Amino acid sequence: MSTRLDTITKDGLFRITHLKSDNSCIARLMKMGLLPGQEIRLVHEAPLGDPIAIEFNGCHMSLRLSDAAHIEVEKSDGRH
Amino acid sequence: MADIERTRVALIGNPNTGKTSIFNMLTGMRQHVGNYSGVTVEKKTGIWKLLQGKEVELIDLPGTYSLSANSLDERVTVDVLAGHTTGENSPDLIIVVVDVENLRRNLFLASQASELDVPMVIALNCWDVAEKKGLQIDSKLLEQRLGVPVIPTIARHKRGTKELAKAVEYAIKARPMLIRPQWPEAIKKALDCLRRELVEQRGQSLRAGELQRLLFDRDSAVCERLTCPAAAYKPIIKATRNQIYRDGYQPDAAEAMLRFRFFNPLLNDILERQTVTKKRSKSESIDQLLLHKVWGLVVFVGIMYVVFQSVYSWAEPIMNLTEGVVGNFGEWAGRFLEGTPKFQSLVVDGIVGGVGSFLVFLPQILVLFFFISILEESGYMARAAFLMDKLFSWCGLNGKSFVPLLSSFACAIPGIMATRTISDKKVRTITILVAPLMSCSARLPVYILLIGAFVEPLYGPAAAGIALFAMHFVGALLAAPIAFFLNKILNNGEATEPFVMELPHYKIPHLKHSFLRMYQSGKEFVLRAGTVIFAMSIAIWALLYFPREAEIEQAIYSNYQDHALTEEQQTEIDHMTNAAYLERSYLGRFGKAVQPIFAPAGYDWKITVGVLASFPAREIIVSTLGIVYSLGDDVDKESDDLRTTLSHTKWESGPRTGQNVFNLPVALSIMVFFALCMQCGATLAVIAKELNWGWAIASFVAMTTIAWIAAVMVYQTGMLFV
Repeated sequence: MSTRLDTITKDGLFRITHLKSDNSCIARLMKMGLLPGQEIRLVHEAPLGDPIAIEFNGCHMSLRLSDAAHIEVEKSDGRH
Repeated sequence: MADIERTRVALIGNPNTGKTSIFNMLTGMRQHVGNYSGVTVEKKTGIWKLLQGKEVELIDLPGTYSLSANSLDERVTVDVLAGHTTGENSPDLIIVVVDVENLRRNLFLASQASELDVPMVIALNCWDVAEKKGLQIDSKLLEQRLGVPVIPTIARHKRGTKELAKAVEYAIKARPMLIRPQWPEAIKKALDCLRRELVEQRGQSLRAGELQRLLFDRDSAVCERLTCPAAAYKPIIKATRNQIYRDGYQPDAAEAMLRFRFFNPLLNDILERQTVTKKRSKSESIDQLLLHKVWGLVVFVGIMYVVFQSVYSWAEPIMNLTEGVVGNFGEWAGRFLEGTPKFQSLVVDGIVGGVGSFLVFLPQILVLFFFISILEESGYMARAAFLMDKLFSWCGLNGKSFVPLLSSFACAIPGIMATRTISDKKVRTITILVAPLMSCSARLPVYILLIGAFVEPLYGPAAAGIALFAMHFVGALLAAPIAFFLNKILNNGEATEPFVMELPHYKIPHLKHSFLRMYQSGKEFVLRAGTVIFAMSIAIWALLYFPREAEIEQAIYSNYQDHALTEEQQTEIDHMTNAAYLERSYLGRFGKAVQPIFAPAGYDWKITVGVLASFPAREIIVSTLGIVYSLGDDVDKESDDLRTTLSHTKWESGPRTGQNVFNLPVALSIMVFFALCMQCGATLAVIAKELNWGWAIASFVAMTTIAWIAAVMVYQTGMLFV
């Protein structure tokens, strides 16, 4: 059961299931190591709800909701 | 060049890895900051003395996450590494600065760079921070696996310099290369095909790494360097990308997947301990407060208030001091040159005035860059952009535009220089172009003079306050639709660079770096913008001074029959003479000639001359009005004389002869004109330096036109109610 990253709430750990790499933002994130199977955490939401910040591999990246819509994630239990 | 060329070493790395700290640590003050030809990417080079006194040239390339050549920074990096910058071969060695905590991600860049066939050394930076977090990396083991020297460094504490120098000396001779991934057959075939078609058949000089860029990156900027026609290379690149897609590799994703898949097994056991530390880091705890929906904004407003206040008012004593010193020097020089009035005026009004007119901006620039370096180095700048992004994204800007635009309310010049913190070129261009619309402090005297003369006496202090407030926001309000429009037309409305931004770990900023940054920005402003502003000031002085016919003075004297003039009469004569000289000067004549253009906005020739004389610097309007109204040039914005004179001035000719020139619509129309017009030679010079003269002239024409239209609209609407 995968959901789009722009629709999830702050709680919990997620795992990337699919990325639409034809989006330039996603292509850039992939070059930073955001690949299918990667675990991520939603850590912050800006005061107006957009952009959001995610954490993966110990680094925090901010991205806009319009770009987050190209990332699909599923709930993760923290074990990989 | 005849002499033996220095060994050249390029420094690359992800943003926030401490790359600049390493550069500063190795070169000290022996740095040179310039621009790459044709682009606005900063070029920083320095001299680094190795152990045996051998000097190498160190090139600090922009911080990038990859070499995809999408952004200008990435493109410059690829060009420099591949030796395509005019007059420069590729460097002899690359030092990749790697943040220990983000080893995996950082090695991606190193891996891309190694494909350009340049030997490499890796500096493993922030060793101490990582160790504190319980992360110990076996650098010797890493070295063995990667095939290049791996040197632990702590740039903040200047540790690792010697080891790095030793490794570089070794690497220059031994030329170690980073281990490269084995590409799958399909990719190899595609790269071979590109090489055959482009390099062998069409004679393009492309390295393996550049062919990979063409294959893996959508619309790679490497294309722009190809000399064969687009019709020839485009189908070839498209066909190879389609081929790897058919072979099961999504072209935009293939490189990331393959490189990470190759490096992960090499790093997994080395990084094992990293995953154990699951505790919330210090940075995360700070962010719980600073990115909080309520408290985060409170802190943000507080910090921005301090920055703005310090640029706006704390820099003022230093500015006054600068003005005072320049003024005193002018007076001293003036007394010295008493005998030669023409030369005296050139020196005092032209040269000293001209130098003063750009030196006065220096304190604001220095103060702002002090804060910017602290905000950036501490990591807060990214948070500020994160908090503000939504407010700017709808009109094509992003959160990084906030600080430059806020600073522009004090002065557009430091504001425009501060746009260097914006990495996206299009966003940066738009921010620079709308920055002069923010109401800077030089507009204040105009507002105070006119509001004091025409709003306050009629409508009371409350209305005066509202008028002053409205004048400060009319520009900002107009800036939003202009930015929106520019975003649509620039690059044919193409999407901007994606707004993906790292929120780096918080760091304690280094004061030394702040001072270096202040020094560099100040020096650049004085040397490059200063010369232009200086030249403009002299030109305007000449237009206001000449031809200065002697008959004018005699004619005025002849009106005074008795020869025992009182001191009062003498001053009156002086003021009248100056007014007459101004009227008959080239600029005065020009003002009279173009007055019909400004008539729809309600201006008579005197206001027109004042407006024209204020094009180099808008605050000049007050003293120019003082001269044209025969009050002398030492009037100021709160001068009652000037206010009374203005309110009693009558039209001398035309349809409204005998009526008051100044009424509320005229006052508002002048203020709106000043709010929107580009009347600042220094800003023009800085735009020309940060973008180019084309943009500077375009923004001058556009802003003047917009200001004129708005002034006419305000006046004509206002007259309906008078």
